[in-house]
Amino acid sequence: MKRDVIVAVSFLLAFLFIAYAVVYINVLGLGGAELRPLGEFYLGHAFAHEGLTSHSPEVVTAIVWNYRGFDTLFETFVFFLAIMGAFSVLRLTREQESIVRELEAKEPHRQMDLITRATTKLVVVMIVAISASIALHGHLTPGGGFQAGSAMAVALLLLFAVFSKFTLERKGLNLRHTISAYALGLALILATVLAPVFLYGGKVLEINLLPGETGLFNLDVGEYTAVTFGFLTVFLVLGVSEWIFKTVLRGEVDD
Amino acid sequence: MIGIHLAILAIVVSFGFVFSYLAMKEHDLLKALALSSVQSTFFALGFYILAAPDIVLAYLAIAVGAYTALVILAISKTERYEVGE
Repeated sequence: MKRDVIVAVSFLLAFLFIAYAVVYINVLGLGGAELRPLGEFYLGHAFAHEGLTSHSPEVVTAIVWNYRGFDTLFETFVFFLAIMGAFSVLRLTREQESIVRELEAKEPHRQMDLITRATTKLVVVMIVAISASIALHGHLTPGGGFQAGSAMAVALLLLFAVFSKFTLERKGLNLRHTISAYALGLALILATVLAPVFLYGGKVLEINLLPGETGLFNLDVGEYTAVTFGFLTVFLVLGVSEWIFKTVLRGEVDD
Repeated sequence: MIGIHLAILAIVVSFGFVFSYLAMKEHDLLKALALSSVQSTFFALGFYILAAPDIVLAYLAIAVGAYTALVILAISKTERYEVGE
């Protein structure tokens, strides 16, 4: 225990020394750096009346979806591949799904107490409202599709933890619906990315050509839907109890 | 005087380091998870002082919400205590 304290304190001292050296003695030469020309370009063009503007006072969103749009586009597809990989490893056939449903009906019915449930209902409404404002104002204030989607996933997760997986499924958020909604979000992103090519004869992802901030708004909403339902898909798959999975897999071995 | 906010940044991130060390030394995995989310909260404050609110929004939701839940689901499928040296 004493050794732990010594290690922690020496880490702390080393870190404070490095921080002091970087900030006050300016060892790395970072202090007083001027704005680089690239930064000046972004600040001047993200919201302007003419030229290569993306109609967005929020420069981060303009960079993320417009000036560096391909990075974000491929990031979205990497996220999609990761979730589809997890889903295909844990997939079940139609018969296995009906076995799982039968076994889940036998599980003991557990419930959290009234205070937790009532508070969660209130908090979930607030989180959903905030995530919607983060997504729909993503081109005006800090935030964007991914941030809003992860906040929304947290709200659904709270419902998942405090009520149950079955509550979500009874409300219509079962696996088929979440995957369809995920596909819908990705379709909106792809449509917005390809729209400049077919409508205005521009290049892929040249969303400056679309009227006003439509491009950034659509991309934010598409990413919002995709991230929310992507996370929910993973949680629904992982939420199946371990003994049920084992029973199903044992049946697979016996066949 | 370069700015009080840099001093606050140093303090906040040092607390983050302390909590990440404690999380590494903890043998109860659920407690380690709680410590690691405290560390994430401190780092999120650090990002806010560095004027990156976009990162804060994503980082808090992922590190405190989604990551914690995923690891709790993973722990529920194994054992809660880490045994041995």
